[in-house]
Amino acid sequence: MHPATGCCSNPMRHRAHLVIVITIFWSRENNVKACLPLEFTQEQYDTEDRKLVVALSATLGLFAIELAGFFSGVSMFSSSQGLLSTGVHASASVALLFFLFEQWECDIYWWIFAICSVLPAFVEILLFIAVFGLKKKPL
Amino acid sequence: MAFYEVYSHPAVIRYKTSVCTKATLFLVVVLCLTYIPPLLVAYRSQGFWLKRSTYEEQPVVRFQYQTLMVAATGTQGDYVAWSTFPHLNNMLGPNLRIPAVSVKEEDLNKDGKLDLLTFQLQLPLKNNEQVYSVQLLLTFSYQLFRMSTVVMQSLAFVQLASPVPGAKLFISGDLRLQQRTPLPHRGLYNIYNVSVIDGSSPFASAYDLENIVRSYQARNLTTVLSCPMPVWTVGPAAGSPFELNVEIRYPVEVITYRPGFWETIKFAWIQYVSILLIFIWVFERVQRFVFQNQVLTTVSIPVGKPHLS
Repeated sequence: MHPATGCCSNPMRHRAHLVIVITIFWSRENNVKACLPLEFTQEQYDTEDRKLVVALSATLGLFAIELAGFFSGVSMFSSSQGLLSTGVHASASVALLFFLFEQWECDIYWWIFAICSVLPAFVEILLFIAVFGLKKKPL
Repeated sequence: MAFYEVYSHPAVIRYKTSVCTKATLFLVVVLCLTYIPPLLVAYRSQGFWLKRSTYEEQPVVRFQYQTLMVAATGTQGDYVAWSTFPHLNNMLGPNLRIPAVSVKEEDLNKDGKLDLLTFQLQLPLKNNEQVYSVQLLLTFSYQLFRMSTVVMQSLAFVQLASPVPGAKLFISGDLRLQQRTPLPHRGLYNIYNVSVIDGSSPFASAYDLENIVRSYQARNLTTVLSCPMPVWTVGPAAGSPFELNVEIRYPVEVITYRPGFWETIKFAWIQYVSILLIFIWVFERVQRFVFQNQVLTTVSIPVGKPHLS
């Protein structure tokens, strides 16, 4: 069991993902326009904009959960959680890079969100419950 | 004393595990991430399936020696005409005027395919007649052989009208192929191997230029005479014959076709494999790290001769 996976590469992937999410936050106009038809009203724009903001904020929220779990020691040394987290955040970084530069539609963001933010946070919460709730030793 | 490396070879370490483990799940995920994304990348960056391609060929063109000529000799609708169709000539009556025609087809570069048609027509005129416009229709047989075999009858139509009477018209142009749809990549394509004008018809409608052009333009594959600079020499031709000189070249054509199955697959495969190599390299390093450092537990079996002791 190699702790290096958990300690060193995981926060790097986290940070890359975080940076790209924040970049999309600040320059989300083009992505919102890509979701809308050619002729759109201001209300449609605002609705889509709000949906994307909600998605991005939820991503940041789930980040916080993962980081809490990581720094509390629950999953720092679990190599499978580390591997899952590394892999998923790396894919998220690549996918969101495409999302930003190729101006993909908003719906695709929900897929990236589901696989790359919800999944690791969910596993994190499971580990939380396993350690604090069921009093199992952290893996 | 060991100075330099004389030989080396890789030694294989096998990692084994049972079916229901995290290592197997990892392997499944890595296989999906190795073989599916290159297909997505190649497809989404456009041009994966080759739908249309081009090739060059000089067609085999022969003049069919069927002609229709109409010249307007006044501004009130008077005309004279001539053709190689006996039925039409009979119907023209007093408007028939028989010109002197000389035709020559040459193979300039001696490659077995004709390159140039020279058509000279001298129309005799009465003393007070002037020519104000000319319409000339020439028929050709057009053949292509390199990909699909195309055999068709086509035409070249020359038309010029001028408010001032002319003594001479000089046309120099190329016979160009017009495609509305790409050609197939193999097989025989002879649906247009029917005469442009039905010479056996006794009805005047078969020789009406409008009808001929309408049914010709309905085809998906036609030829057209591309002549950007017709030369109309103004002058009193009364008394002397009106001269019509036409030069038509048969150039090399760039032909669009729909590639066949194997050509399409070949280019798709090249695109897929060149991206796949990168993904295989990346995930090979990932897998080596994961299994060598036992991030997921497996049983490792190094290959080596066991010591017999």
